[in-house]
Amino acid sequence: MNDASPEEFIAGQTGEVGLVSWQDFVCAEPFHFENGGKIPSFTLRYETYGRLNAAGDNAILICHALSGDHHCAGIHSILDSKSGWWNNIIGPGKPVDTGKWFVVCSNCLGGCVGSTGPSSVNPETGEPYYASFPLLTIRDMVRAQKKLLDHLGVTRLYAVVGGSMGGMQALQWMIDFPDYVEKVVALATTARQSAQAIAFDAVGRSAILQDPGWNGGRYEPGKGPNVGLSVARMMAHITYLSDQSMEEKFGRSKTEEAGAGKTLFGTEFQVESYLRHQGKSFINRFDANTYLYFTKALDLFDLYTPTGKLEDTFAVVKSRVLVVGFTSDWLYPPEQNRDLVHALLRAGKKATYAQLDMKLGHDSFLVHAPELYRLVGGFLES
Amino acid sequence: MTKIHAIKRETDLQILGDWIEPGSRVLDLGCGRGVLLEKLRQKKDVQAIGVDIDAEKIEACVRRGLSVYQGDAASFLSLFDESHFDWVILSRTVQELEDPAKVIRGALRAGRKLAIGFENHGYWRNRLADLASGRASHSLTGDTPWPESRPQNPVSVPEFEEFCARESIGILRRVWLAGDWKSPVKRLAPLRAAYAMYAVSKAK
Repeated sequence: MNDASPEEFIAGQTGEVGLVSWQDFVCAEPFHFENGGKIPSFTLRYETYGRLNAAGDNAILICHALSGDHHCAGIHSILDSKSGWWNNIIGPGKPVDTGKWFVVCSNCLGGCVGSTGPSSVNPETGEPYYASFPLLTIRDMVRAQKKLLDHLGVTRLYAVVGGSMGGMQALQWMIDFPDYVEKVVALATTARQSAQAIAFDAVGRSAILQDPGWNGGRYEPGKGPNVGLSVARMMAHITYLSDQSMEEKFGRSKTEEAGAGKTLFGTEFQVESYLRHQGKSFINRFDANTYLYFTKALDLFDLYTPTGKLEDTFAVVKSRVLVVGFTSDWLYPPEQNRDLVHALLRAGKKATYAQLDMKLGHDSFLVHAPELYRLVGGFLES
Repeated sequence: MTKIHAIKRETDLQILGDWIEPGSRVLDLGCGRGVLLEKLRQKKDVQAIGVDIDAEKIEACVRRGLSVYQGDAASFLSLFDESHFDWVILSRTVQELEDPAKVIRGALRAGRKLAIGFENHGYWRNRLADLASGRASHSLTGDTPWPESRPQNPVSVPEFEEFCARESIGILRRVWLAGDWKSPVKRLAPLRAAYAMYAVSKAK
């Protein structure tokens, strides 16, 4: 699956997972969704790095965030200019050490990068699901991943690691499969989204739904609500950054276009140009319907139900948990990360809360951050 | 420096290892790198939680496999039901707290018992050092010069006992140690004790 064998790396040095390729797992059984509805079968696209041991218990599952996918480390071709989205933390000798652990990451159910989602063809009708794809939850994503891990021969997860929506999945894992998960690392996440976070998702969905290109969810690949999707992405992207980091990166710098005096409502400021680029590149890689389903799953996620007390939900947990909040994250702010650990500790569980003073906002967990690597690495080693 | 730290740690461990019942729920406020909790866990199989504000110390605790919380002690205590913990530990932390009374009250609410250890500011060597040089005394901690020191709010044996009396806090046990942090002091503790450790609880 990858060409990085553990023996090639000397202790204390880090290497790269190198060339990797994805695989498809096809589950031929019907999948029943938490809120009703079913699909006759599903596919999850995934990648693995490292080797599964004979006991099948050295696996680490990486869960991706809203716009992520299964390609979290390595490169697909030597011509690739970018590696997987979490390459800085995954690899031989890195905190998620592929020399020790068998690392698995799959594109979530409902996704648009190879896994079954709204744009996949429904074998029963011969045409894409579109908006007839069942309402999806974080729990559904987790249950689909469990099928994949069973297929791979993973008997027990050494750890589940994820940030943001991936953090929600990690939390759901330890609740739904308490005996299966030894450790959980949840970064920049929440037990339930605030009204503000739901509001941002609602505006993003609104931009998509009101784009005539959405057409009730029925559109040809590449011809969908591109304007709506890019606006949703541009707005959401602001919530992933911080005021300070935007100020430092862009300030009031102007574009060349502005200097040439050509613009009326064009891209005058660098920050506009940056966001437009974000919006534009997103429509080439992401499906608008998946965006609707995933953001809905985020909004519906609520570990306070059914009793209203988080510690009741956590009563079943057996995993050791590390939660990391980021001071500058205003989407899932430190308080919401702390609340998770408060509830776990009140419930008598083993949990740690650490807060990193990084200025990049919600996306801090994705950037180069030695202090985060030490925490995650130390936790996985301990 | 390391030797002094080792002696201090060993002292705390000896006393607390004697006091704390096996399997207790223990909360260490200002847990540092988690050495004490790790030892208590090994020795007494306690369910240990540490609290510290320093990110680097949290990291060290994580490496030790401890449950640890990065944040403020008083607000952390307020999250727990009454008597959630069997023991709350304040080991050489109290002099650095912004509002020691608030933390002690919180600890006595969230915990059944509080173990509190501090260097006695009234220890004769400290008094002498004050007189002789006019410098703030550090006694055994004298390894950090003041520009690098954290703010200190030193406490003495009589001040602590007066506080307990005023707050109706019951003193269950007390250990006073001489300058070597080993030999017990029986008399004239306000003057002769370098280190004091108390077990206290809310008076019934």
